[in-house]
Amino acid sequence: MSRVLKREWTTAEGWRDTKAGMWAWLIQRAAAVVLLVVVAVHLVNPFRRGVQAALLLLVLVHALLGVRAVLLDFGLPVRWHRALFVLALVLSAGIFALVWAWRWY
Amino acid sequence: MTRTLRVFRWSADTPERVEDYRVSSGPDTTVLDALVDIQRTQDPTLAFRYACRVGMCGSCAMVVNGRERWACRTRLASLGDGPVSVRPLYHFPLLRDLVVDMAPFVEKLRAVGAALTPRPDAARYDQGSSAAPERQEIDQAIECIGCGMCLSACTIVAHNARFPGPAALNRAFTLELDSRDGGQQARWRVLLSDDALARCHGQGNCTAVCPMGLAPMRSIIRLRQRAPLRLLRR
Repeated sequence: MSRVLKREWTTAEGWRDTKAGMWAWLIQRAAAVVLLVVVAVHLVNPFRRGVQAALLLLVLVHALLGVRAVLLDFGLPVRWHRALFVLALVLSAGIFALVWAWRWY
Repeated sequence: MTRTLRVFRWSADTPERVEDYRVSSGPDTTVLDALVDIQRTQDPTLAFRYACRVGMCGSCAMVVNGRERWACRTRLASLGDGPVSVRPLYHFPLLRDLVVDMAPFVEKLRAVGAALTPRPDAARYDQGSSAAPERQEIDQAIECIGCGMCLSACTIVAHNARFPGPAALNRAFTLELDSRDGGQQARWRVLLSDDALARCHGQGNCTAVCPMGLAPMRSIIRLRQRAPLRLLRR
C-alpha cells in the first residue's frame, strides 16, 4: 500500500523550520480571516477603541503583505523577499503607531 | 561527541515509527556518514538512498530537522546540540524508511513537456552565444539536479496532485526562453490550465531549500509575467 508523508500542521515537527515566505503568506491569509470578524464587530459599534485599533493594524498588515507580493510579481528580485516581509511588518507597526498617536477626535 | 539521530522507519509490512540511534561524531561528520555508520554497525535493515556522497547527485535528499537537505552536505555539528530528526521527503510515495519513489517527480516533468522539442527550422548545432541575454537568463535556472527537495517543501504540491511543482515549472521556464524549442504551444496549454501557474502562492519554500541555489519561485513569476500575452494569443 502506498504511503505519502505530508507535513503535519498539528505537530511541532510540521512547523519546524517554517520559512519567511511561508510566514508572509500565512500571516496575510490569517489577517484576512480575522478582518472579516473585526469588520463585523466594528459595524455593530464603530466607537470601540480596541476594535478600531485591531481594524487598523490588520488592514495595514494585510495590505502591505499584498503590496510585497505584487512587487515580487512585477519583477523585484526574489532574493529580496525576506527583506520585503520584514519591511512590510515594520511599516505596518510604524504606520499604526503614527496614526494611533495622532488622535483626530 | 555522541549524537542521537531520530530516524523515521516504515515499510509495507511494519508500522510507522521513529527509532533513536546514538552515533559518535566529529566536527565534519555528516548526516549521511551517521546513517551509513548506523546501517553498518547497528541496524542493517535501515534503508536510505545515496550515490555520489559529495553533493552532486541529490540522491540523499531528506528532511533533516524539519528542513529539506542533502544528507551528504549536512554536518551534524551544524544542527545544534539536540537530537537530529531524519525523515524522508514529503509528498512522494514511500518505498521504505528514508527511500521515496521519485516517479511522481518525473511524471510532473513529463506533464509540462520538459524535454526540448527542436523546432523544425532549428540549426542542428546551437549557434547561439553563451553571452546572449536569453542564455544568461536560462543559465540561472538550468542547474536542477532533480533531487526533489522543492517538491517536498512546496505546500501546494501537498494539496493539489495535479500541480506540476517548482522543478517542472522551473524547467518549463528555461525551455520557454530557449529559441531552439518548438514545444511551447503544447506547454503553455498546461501552464495556463487551472492547476499550474495559477496555483503557486509564492511562499518561496522551493527557493529556500534548493541545494543548487536556484530560484524556482523566480522562474514561476517570470512565466506568469509572460502568461497574459499567451492568453491573448489563444
